[in-house]
Parts: sequence; C-alpha cells; structure tokens
Amino acid sequence: MSMTLTHGAVEALVKGLPVYNPVLQLLNMRKLNSPSGTSRYRLMMSDGQRSFTSFLLDTQLNHLAEENLLVPNCVCKLTKTILETLKDGRRVLVVTGIEILQKAEETGGKIGNPTPYKADDETSQSMDSGTSVSEVSSSAAVPGPSDTNNSTPSPRGYGSGFGATASPMKTSPMMTSPMRASPMKASPMKASPMKTSPMKVSPMKASPMQASPMKTSPMKTSPMKTGSVISIAKLNPYQTNWTIKARVTNKSNVRSWSNSKGEGKLFSFEIVDESGEIRLTAFNKEVDRFFTLLEQGKVYYISKATVKIANKQFNRLKNDYEITLHAHSSIVLCDDSQGVPTLHFDFVPIAELENKEKDTILDIIGVCKSAEDVSKITTKTSREVSKRAISLIDTTETVVTVTLWGEEAEKFNCTREPVVAIKGARLSDFGGRSLSTLFSSTVMVNPDIPEAFRLRAWYDQEGYAVESQSLTYTGSASSASRINWKTLSDVKNEQMGQDEKAEYFSCVATVVYTRKENCLYQACPSADCNKKVIEQPDGMYRCDKCNRQFPNFKYRLILSANLADFGDNQWVTCFQETAEVLLGHSADTLGHLRDTDETAFEEVFQKANFTTHIFKNRVKLETYNDESRVKVTVMEIQPLDHREYSRTLLRNIHKLASST
Amino acid sequence: MAGIIDVPKPRINCSMLSQHINRPVCFVGRVEKVHPTGKTFTLLDGEGKVATVELNEPLEEELSGVVEVIGMVSNKGAIMATTYNIMREDKGIPFDLELYNEALKVVHDFPQHYPFEVASSG
Repeated sequence: MSMTLTHGAVEALVKGLPVYNPVLQLLNMRKLNSPSGTSRYRLMMSDGQRSFTSFLLDTQLNHLAEENLLVPNCVCKLTKTILETLKDGRRVLVVTGIEILQKAEETGGKIGNPTPYKADDETSQSMDSGTSVSEVSSSAAVPGPSDTNNSTPSPRGYGSGFGATASPMKTSPMMTSPMRASPMKASPMKASPMKTSPMKVSPMKASPMQASPMKTSPMKTSPMKTGSVISIAKLNPYQTNWTIKARVTNKSNVRSWSNSKGEGKLFSFEIVDESGEIRLTAFNKEVDRFFTLLEQGKVYYISKATVKIANKQFNRLKNDYEITLHAHSSIVLCDDSQGVPTLHFDFVPIAELENKEKDTILDIIGVCKSAEDVSKITTKTSREVSKRAISLIDTTETVVTVTLWGEEAEKFNCTREPVVAIKGARLSDFGGRSLSTLFSSTVMVNPDIPEAFRLRAWYDQEGYAVESQSLTYTGSASSASRINWKTLSDVKNEQMGQDEKAEYFSCVATVVYTRKENCLYQACPSADCNKKVIEQPDGMYRCDKCNRQFPNFKYRLILSANLADFGDNQWVTCFQETAEVLLGHSADTLGHLRDTDETAFEEVFQKANFTTHIFKNRVKLETYNDESRVKVTVMEIQPLDHREYSRTLLRNIHKLASST
Repeated sequence: MAGIIDVPKPRINCSMLSQHINRPVCFVGRVEKVHPTGKTFTLLDGEGKVATVELNEPLEEELSGVVEVIGMVSNKGAIMATTYNIMREDKGIPFDLELYNEALKVVHDFPQHYPFEVASSG
C-alpha cells in the first residue's frame, strides 16, 4: 500500500506558499552536531515529485529521530513548518510539527521518483561549520522577509549527492544548529544579490571566509549599508547572521546577584524599530563592554547575539523572543536614525485599569495632579529605599496612584502638574487598583510625544477642574477619591444625618474650642473593654460589663470640641484616637497632667485651638431619653496640606469661573 | 509711615506694578540680589519677573529667601519699602511662590469677591 504524497508540496513550501499539512516521505536524515553539543537533524523530504534536503527538525522534536520514530522512508505529515531564509539566501524549512503516518517498513521504499528541487542555480557554498569566524557581522544581514523574497539565491549544492556520500555534507551550510550564533557567522557572501558588498571575497568557498578582510571589529570598519539590516520582527533563533538597527527605549541599571551558583551582574535594555520591540540582556563581561556605550534614546546597529525564546517572567514586551549578548556581539552607534521610532508606548486609559488583571505590566500616561512627599522605607532585606506616591489623571477623568521608587522618587517634582508617561509599570490591586514602577520601567516627565501634548492641552483647558474618581483608595487627603467633601454650613443646610442613617463627610475646619472639663473618664483596664468603671468604697474599680473589679483603670478621652469654617461652626465629639490626635497627647498623659500640673493641662487645650485639620465625620440622628439630636462624631483627623488644599481651591475657582 | 499701615495694600506681582504707581502695595518675592550698599535689592515674583526694592536705611541683616515688602510704588516701578518681613522657611512648609502667584491672580480677577475695604478703627 503506498501512501499518497502531496505532489508539489516541496516546491510550494520552499517558495513560501501556503500548504496545508502536506504528506511527505522522509528520504534521508542526517544528524548535525553543533559545538554547543545540541544535535540537529537535517531531513531530506520528498513529495513524490521533488525532494528537498534543507528540512531541519526543530530541536524539540529531536526525540522523534532519537527514538527511531523518524526513519528514512517513513511517510509523514508536516503539521507545522517555518520557512527561513539564511543570510546567504539559502532556504531552510524548520519542521516544528510532524506526524508519522506510515512506518518505513510499510512503505516499501522511495515513493515515486522525485528530482531534487533547487530554488536557484547559483553556486554557493559551503559554510564553515562551526568555526567562529569573526566576520563583519554588522554588514552581513539577511535580506529581508524570507517568505516574500523570491529573488534570492537559494541553496545549492544539495541537489547532488545528499544521499550519496557524507562528504559534500560536511561543507553544507546547514549544519550547526542555528541556535548558536557563532557558526553562522561564516558569511557565505556569495553572490551579487547579497547586497552586503564589503564581502569582496568572491570565490565563495569555505575557507576564504576566514580570510575575509572583514575580520576586524565592525565598529571600526566601513559604514553600514542600511539595506542589509533586518527588522526586529523578523528575528528568530534560527537565523544567526543578522543586524538590526533600533533605538534604545529603556535601559536598566546594572544589577548584581550572588547566589549558590555564583555571582554575576547584568543589565537589560529594550529597543524598538518600525517593526517592533525586543529586549536584550548583557551579562558579566558584556556589561562592562556595553553598559556605558548604550544610551537611552540613541540608535544602534546590533548584531551577533543569541536570539532565544523570551522569558515572560521578566520580559513583558510583545516579542516571543529576546536577545542575549555575548562575547562576539557587536553594537555600533548609528548616526542615521531616520525611520526608527522614538519610544513605543501602548498606553492604557486609566479608567480601563479596573478591567485589567493585577500584575499586568503596562504603559500609562497622565497628568500628575499631586504627589506625596518622598519617604524612606526599609525593605524586608533591610535595604532602605525611597518611595513616592503620585496621582495621575487622564482624559477618562479617572485618577490612579503610582508609586515611584529610588532615585526616580527622590528627584520627582510635581509642581506645574507635569505629564508623566511610564512604560512598563505593574498594576496592583493594592487599594483597589494602583500602579508601581519596576526596576525595568521607564518614567518620562513631559515627554516629547503627541499623547503628552494632547493630555497637556486637555488638562489645561478642562482637566484640572474635573471631579475625578480615583481607583486607588488611600484615605489620605491628597486623593480626590470617594471623599464626600462638605462645608460645615452644608451639614445644617442639607439636613445631613436626619434620615436615621449615618452619613459620612469630610471637611476642612479649624478648632475654635475644646472642652477640658469632663473630657477624661476612668475606663475598664481590660483590653477590649472601654466601659466606664465605678469607684467602689474599698478603692477598687468595678466594671459592669466585665462583671469584675479591678485595682486600677485606664484613662480614656471623650472630647467635645467646636469646629468652624468660613460659613458655620459645629459641635463634634472626638473619642480616644481622634482626641489624642487633636490634643497631641495620650489619654494617660493627660490624666496624669490633670492630677499634677493644672497649668500644663490647660495649656494642652489652648494649643489645640485654631489648628486646622481635615476631619472625616459621621453625622447621625441620636435619641437619648426621648430627645433626638443630630450628633457629629469625628472618625478621623488628617493633617491639612495647605498647598494641596490651595490647589484644590484654585481648581474649584477656575471651574466655577469657566462654568458661568 | 503710619499712613501706610492703616491703608489697604493690595498684594501684587510684577505685572501689576504699573497699575499701582504711587499707591501702597504689598509685594512678596524671593530675594535675587542685594546691592552692596544694602539700600536696594531685587526680588523675583512667582512668575519669575524682577522687581526692585529701595530702602530708606541700608539693610542690617542678611536677606534671603521669600520676603514680603510693604511700600509705595515709585514712578519708575520700583517699590519704596517702608517695612519688610522675611518669611521663615525653616519651620516645616516652604513658601510656594508659584501657588501664591496663582492666588494673587484670582484675587485680582475677581475683585467683586475680594473687595478692599478700609478696616474700621475702634
């Protein structure tokens, strides 16, 4: 029984035309060894009409060959292939998905009489297998998208004797695992289509490569021809001889580590070109070579580095791959940055942050309405680090708090409400939704991008007056979040608290009177009990709630105070915590003072007068012995940031002015 | 000197100097330079503009930081100071001159809400 092979599939695959699950026969298989030790299997496949020798089995499928599942003459279905064009124009089909349909024994030999398929007739050659020729990597570049470019010279030399002898294969280009950056370096600069002219060496045979004059470090040699640069989107681990031209968008600091496996240092940076972005990391020696050379915002030619699958744990770019620099990597500053975009942002509107999952890394832009002062905190590892929380608002009229760290936190200045753009911030569900900058984030203040100008214009015209909704509930005075701001006259005018349901509001008010009489009472000393204790004749104190007697008590405060603002005044009650804040002393201290130093005691109350704070209050209708009265209790007292408050007032004034 | 104390003195910045010639004003600014004679110095207002202040007697102390000057505006647009106040910045909040300037603009833009009245004596 002979299986039907998909005629014409080979030609179609090599030409990059779509072929769905072609059925091919494996004619021959050869194991290639790369210096790194990973084997690579090269396959010769036939569709019954044509055969092609440049099929490479993806290393993840090596087991098929090693377990003898893939045996010459077996018939298989290729479920997934990737067509790659090497620098020299030769085409390789990497097989990433394959199913064995019929075993070799059953097929009974070669099906049909396939002739070798040659994509082109030019002579080319051999690639050195494995010698790391220090070529001019910079000038060598793959000529663009492999699938569309049909004019490139193609693999040659395979047609003959693939199966014949081993020898031609030795010089065949396919060898070394493309994963390795080095082997491919032998630029088979053959033919003219290779725009990379610096390869003056024309007799493209193996050895001459080494003799190529271009051995010198690219940095010093001839200017790059921009035509030989490939786009970042085309980078993949199977191509090794590439050059990209891109701008550094983000450069991290050098980080060192020391663990059981040893020590080292690294830094990473991200680059962008018209096609996309990619992240690169340099370790140890490469850190020394490249850290000072690379500057954020400048454009460089980069070549000869290892492309591998991206580690999404650390890399949040949209590229499947990332690059690791190594000893042969080359980075040259480029003067002509035309066509290279500056920074690639993908801003998420602040209102949409709610819909995103926590820990997502994203870009954000907004106007910094306010910023807290920088504070120093000690981390779990006993490191002291500076942090500063800033609030950003954008056209969605939503505010979010962003935390800056380290030097960025220290040097941040929020006067004049700058536009802040952050690339690579992490979304957290702290306080609802908030953002934090990471080691790898970039923070730009008033960046030179259209988004920033748009935001600035919006904010200056209307944004500053907007009553925004904050996603981050911080409870502090600086967030314009769900705080219900009222003035004291509103309490009476709006008849707050009358509905038997407690209402909460915040206000800015000044203390005009504090009652020092009966502000202290003796309370039960047990932990959670605050009930007033009665002094017994024997000197013990009895708590009715705990049903116990104690030899002592603790002082607790109930402070009656009068607050006033421009419009009205209001009597309020402050219990222990808020009373202590207002008076600046603990209940115990005050109790003690009252018994010992009356003058000092009185002074405490005098000092509290005419202090201005932000009060968060609860107003409720309370009934006491048939009498109902609206009572106001202070829940929280926050210090007033006068500057922040002034800005709020100015904003409100502007808003009122523009609405009339 | 007594005359100027009792009279309302609008707070102004440099751009308003020309409208207040020969009138008493209150000017707040950051000290830029002090003349070697000590009889004159320059102040920067919240917009970064410069105003010159002239004194009757030379300064007896180091002048720096934010200062509030009360005086008359001369024909040439300088402030003939009768008294000055140094705003202390070492106690907590620094003086935000730009914010002050914003407030100043509001006061002048809405005179109907910020009327200058003579304080009634007694």
